[in-house]
Amino acid sequence: MRKFFKRSFFRNIFNKLIGKDKKLKIGLYGHPNSGKTTLANTMTSDWLGKPIGLISEIPHETRRVYRQERVKIEYDGVELDFDIVDTPGIATKIDYKNFLEFGLSEEEAKERAKEATKGIIEAIKWLDDVTGVLLVVDATQDPLTQANITIMGNLEARKIPFLIVANKIDLPEASADRITSVFPQHTVVPVSALHGENTGDLYQAMVDKFN
Amino acid sequence: MDSTESNALKMDFLSSDALKNRTSMEKISLIVEKVKAGDLLVMEGGLTPSEEAELIETTMREIDIENFVGIDIYTLEKDKISFFGLSKKKTIGITIIGPANVMKSVKKKSNFLSMIANLGDSGASLH
Repeated sequence: MRKFFKRSFFRNIFNKLIGKDKKLKIGLYGHPNSGKTTLANTMTSDWLGKPIGLISEIPHETRRVYRQERVKIEYDGVELDFDIVDTPGIATKIDYKNFLEFGLSEEEAKERAKEATKGIIEAIKWLDDVTGVLLVVDATQDPLTQANITIMGNLEARKIPFLIVANKIDLPEASADRITSVFPQHTVVPVSALHGENTGDLYQAMVDKFN
Repeated sequence: MDSTESNALKMDFLSSDALKNRTSMEKISLIVEKVKAGDLLVMEGGLTPSEEAELIETTMREIDIENFVGIDIYTLEKDKISFFGLSKKKTIGITIIGPANVMKSVKKKSNFLSMIANLGDSGASLH
């Protein structure tokens, strides 16, 4: 699979040079620590050969929107050309005390909390600009949360196509079936963004959904 | 908190009629004002997706790190059957919104919600 990606990388460069381009902006949305940036990194590493952003186990590591332009994937002879918009995790609450458990000083934790509130506002604003979304859900957690419901409700109301990415399936407590049972009307793709597991299925689903 | 007792929990119940003539901005201001004051709000019906997003946005602007850390929202849904009974979809029956530092523990099933409210050193149980 990786060799295939590397071969396509050079073909993609050629396609970019000849100006074969569509402006599709795919936003990665979801809870803090659901693995959005890990998935964005896997995607950009597979198709561009470089990661997009830093990851950490501390929630709200991504506190502003990162955009990687002109990612092109190809699956079964179909190309999908898009910008990746990696957004901060959406939450309804931010308590700086939660960051102290990860060894941050009180000052650092408060600063992180302040930045995280701004990041959430920015992520919500980007809902007006994205043309497709990967809703990244941590498959080890209860998927029926207000943040997920709000994101999906807004995508449906705005008629923005989206896929649910059931992430972290490498962990024993993960259950993609639980996500499918809660959101039966939507396409759920189980992956491990960290290990690149099942990402081929995700790329196929993206080509089908967003092309 | 509005109450004179710091360990008391004030709960406000709003019928859908009380909200239907308010604009989205008015609804959100009302919710944030009450929740910031430490009240728990139980509303008949729910917010639209764009109102929910606006509520999260407003909440983020109002978080002051020390005193107000955000909100928790829970909804109970009910089936809405179309005129001919051919299609069935879910609508929000009840929405419960409260300060995140008060709504400590919530157990939710499709038609049942149980919440433990933490008020300083004491606790209150709502079922």
